[in-house]
Amino acid sequence: MAAITMAAKYKTTVKEPGIPGVLKMMDDVFAFTPNDPRSAMKLKVDFRNIKGHKFSKDGSKQALLNLTQDPEKGGGYIFEFNNFTDRNACRDFVGKVLGKFQALASKQNDQPVSEKSTVSVEQLSTTEMERRMKLLREDSELQKLHKELVFGNILTESEFWATRKNLLDDDYARISKQRTGFKSAMLADIRPSTDGRTNKVTFSLTPEIIHQIFSEKPAVHRAFLNFVPSKMTEKDFWTKYCRAEYLHRTNNSVAAAAEAAEDEELAVFLKHDDILAEEARRKIRRVDPTLDMEADLGDDYTHLPDHGILRDGSKETTDAENDIARRTLAQDVNRHASVVLEGRALDIELGDTRTVAEALARSKQESSADKSDENANLERQERVSRMTEIEDLQATHSLPYAELCIKDPREYFDSQQVNALKALGSTVAGSRTIDHSLNTEEAYVYLLNEISEVKLQGLHNPIVQSEAALKVLSGLTQQISSTRYNLGKNPQESVLDRLPKRTKDEIMLHWTSIQELLRHFWSSYPITTSYLYNKVLRLKSAMTDIYQKLKAIKDVQSDFRHQISLLIQPMLQALDAAFAHYDAEENKHSKKNGAKPNGFVQ
Amino acid sequence: EEEEEDDGMEAWERAYADERSWENLQEDESGLLRPIDTKTLVHAQYRRRLLAASRIQKGLIRYLYLVIDLSRAASETDYRPSRMVAVAKCAEAFIREFFDQNPLSHVGLVTIKDGISHRLTEIGGSPESQIKALMGKLECSGDASLQNALELIHGYLSQIPSYGHREVLILYSALNTCDPGDIMETIKKCKKAKIRCSVIGLSAEIFICKHVCEETGGSYTVALDESHFKELLLEHAPPPPAIAEYAAANLIKMGFPQRGAEGVIAICSCHKDVKIGGGYTCPRCKARVCELPTECRICGLTLVSSPHLARSYHHLFPVTPFNEVSSVFKLSQKLAQTCFGCQQSLVSIGTKFAPHVSCPKCNQRFCLDCDIYIHESLHNCPGCESQR
Repeated sequence: MAAITMAAKYKTTVKEPGIPGVLKMMDDVFAFTPNDPRSAMKLKVDFRNIKGHKFSKDGSKQALLNLTQDPEKGGGYIFEFNNFTDRNACRDFVGKVLGKFQALASKQNDQPVSEKSTVSVEQLSTTEMERRMKLLREDSELQKLHKELVFGNILTESEFWATRKNLLDDDYARISKQRTGFKSAMLADIRPSTDGRTNKVTFSLTPEIIHQIFSEKPAVHRAFLNFVPSKMTEKDFWTKYCRAEYLHRTNNSVAAAAEAAEDEELAVFLKHDDILAEEARRKIRRVDPTLDMEADLGDDYTHLPDHGILRDGSKETTDAENDIARRTLAQDVNRHASVVLEGRALDIELGDTRTVAEALARSKQESSADKSDENANLERQERVSRMTEIEDLQATHSLPYAELCIKDPREYFDSQQVNALKALGSTVAGSRTIDHSLNTEEAYVYLLNEISEVKLQGLHNPIVQSEAALKVLSGLTQQISSTRYNLGKNPQESVLDRLPKRTKDEIMLHWTSIQELLRHFWSSYPITTSYLYNKVLRLKSAMTDIYQKLKAIKDVQSDFRHQISLLIQPMLQALDAAFAHYDAEENKHSKKNGAKPNGFVQ
Repeated sequence: EEEEEDDGMEAWERAYADERSWENLQEDESGLLRPIDTKTLVHAQYRRRLLAASRIQKGLIRYLYLVIDLSRAASETDYRPSRMVAVAKCAEAFIREFFDQNPLSHVGLVTIKDGISHRLTEIGGSPESQIKALMGKLECSGDASLQNALELIHGYLSQIPSYGHREVLILYSALNTCDPGDIMETIKKCKKAKIRCSVIGLSAEIFICKHVCEETGGSYTVALDESHFKELLLEHAPPPPAIAEYAAANLIKMGFPQRGAEGVIAICSCHKDVKIGGGYTCPRCKARVCELPTECRICGLTLVSSPHLARSYHHLFPVTPFNEVSSVFKLSQKLAQTCFGCQQSLVSIGTKFAPHVSCPKCNQRFCLDCDIYIHESLHNCPGCESQR
């Protein structure tokens, strides 16, 4: 695989006729020597200068390979080959080399090598190439198969990998595309852990919690964007925030007011969230008219003594003297619920708090720009129309079922019987209907006669002669038990292990290639394009080769001849079936398109 | 009001006071308690299950994804030993029953954990591999997300051919769902992709589950306890009626392979190993497969055997429901006194006939056990078959 030499024509644009010559490609450099020694078009280019390669699709007019230098400008070395197999071999080689170089380059300077694909060109990303090469390195069987099939010009790279999508497709990538929604637990209501011995109170904030805090309390979000990193560090910010939370929790409004007076940033956290208030005012104007408030009133028992929802086991008191905000549990829960139901707007990883905050701010801006009154009106109307029908009074509207209309199966069987009789009847001259029914009396008499006859004469007209039966039985038993006897003595040992290693490997290799070839063969039918037809021809020639090889193995005289032939027999059968199918299809086609010389549908 | 309270006693009180339910207990020869005769109860249940006799199409080639909720709520111990374990046990029974009744179908497993869903096994036709993967590791944490599960399954089910019926059965223990986006969009997508979603809830009725099931034509049921859960789950094993807009009638090519002789040695295409004897050869490409039903790895032909088809066929042409025969007091000689199926006597206490049924076509009488057996397992009436 170190070098590849191919006859090709070099051209600078697609339209040119091209200069015929020989293209030689090595591991790091490729050279083109024109046939005409007088021509000055000699080339020797380092692969490092080549950024990518493009090629025309199999089956188009020209078999082109374009080694591009600069992805934007599009200039490059265009080679035209005599047939697609040549071109594909070169292309694969180039692909490998480029993949190697690009892997090295990307490690050094993290340059994304993305090639913009044009309409009729197939691109392979570097990750794809890397994955393929990795798979080939790891699985030696796969590599052998790959070498045999692809470099033998039987299958192209794309065809080979098309059936192995599940190996290449990173299942993990698909899972990680899923996002999680906000947790339904109220993380923004952070609880500190207290150390019994010292007077320290510890708050732990994870990125998830921070994300929720930003979503639920827009005032805090705004404060973060304003204060950090200009006025204070992130750690200070969160320390102040946690202090404010702690003050809330202790229900000590006097202390809270005192601290707020001292530290204006802290005061921000202790005030009412004005952004929320603004939103609430806007929402009140567009209340859903179908909301039934009347039903809610009857359920409200929270104001009765000894009832109500307790937050942290302590009843909430409202202190109207100070400006310190008091959020009831109901308010917090409602705010959290509305945020969770909106869904997670951010798609980015939760890492740096600053990026999260900015991204959140951006998404909020976008969403507020989208909202228009018209949309809201339409939604409201739709909601109203949906709620006006009372669900309980409706009949269940399940989707209608499909009717079964199968003709009586006995008709089918009767018609088959008639057909069969007709077929028979054409050979037998007419058929008379014999009435075979007897009544009980006659049946009894008949049976009596038979039994008395047998009693007299004994059974001398057996269906099978006893000697013949015995011979057959013993022969069959021997045959069935022989293989098992020979091979079944040691359950660990299988048939293959008894054969010499070389034969075993050869057979297995042949078997894997046959599997692969047959899979491609059967998937190509029905043949609809000439590309498939050519593919089938290639496969057929490869299969014929293997067939000959298998026959040769079978004929080799050795101790294990019998086992080997038994093993190879099914493989030959499979190949025979494929050949038969091919011939049958060919006949069908030639009958259909009698005029066409080649007999395949374009 | 007075009709409801009979002498101030509730119904459960009456069961003790008036009906003396303890007298139903009997002892057998060795002094152990005999199980209470629940035959009539079971029979009543079975009759409720019989669908109307109208002929409707049923989806026989089903591609079902079973979704198991492994969120925090699955660790609740209201089902012994925990919801997760109870669900896994019932799911195992369900998978076996499913392949029994639908041999041509495929099942895949998906779990929901920590707010994302994960495909446990690919959709396949062999029950053993599914069950093994299910019992592998069972641990629960995090939230449940309906939307992620539906999105994942939608991605996988869109690839299956059109003659297959796409179904999802969600065993949901959580009380809520934490979704990253708009679940209504996902539901619309599933409806467009003709996926029929059913949910069996373990905690309480949730609106969103009901909505999903209504929109896609599935069924939503909530289990009361373990045995009820198993009953509800097994109700999904027989093929459901096909919805008119989803059903597409196609011709499907199938192969009926022959079983290999005992002495044949071949390399099988599923294990890449040499196998001696047995196995089936695909009629088209002559590759060897180990078990049926399956899809040939070389040529892609669906390989089945005729009993598999016959088992599916029974769902379309069920045995006509038998008529209940009211107890006849007079012993008339012409009527048979034993059940035609099991030859057990139909005469109990004195001259009274025990409740039994009779087939409307052949007029043979069957006891209640035989009735249930004929309709649910045998799918053929012995009386009708013996007359032909």
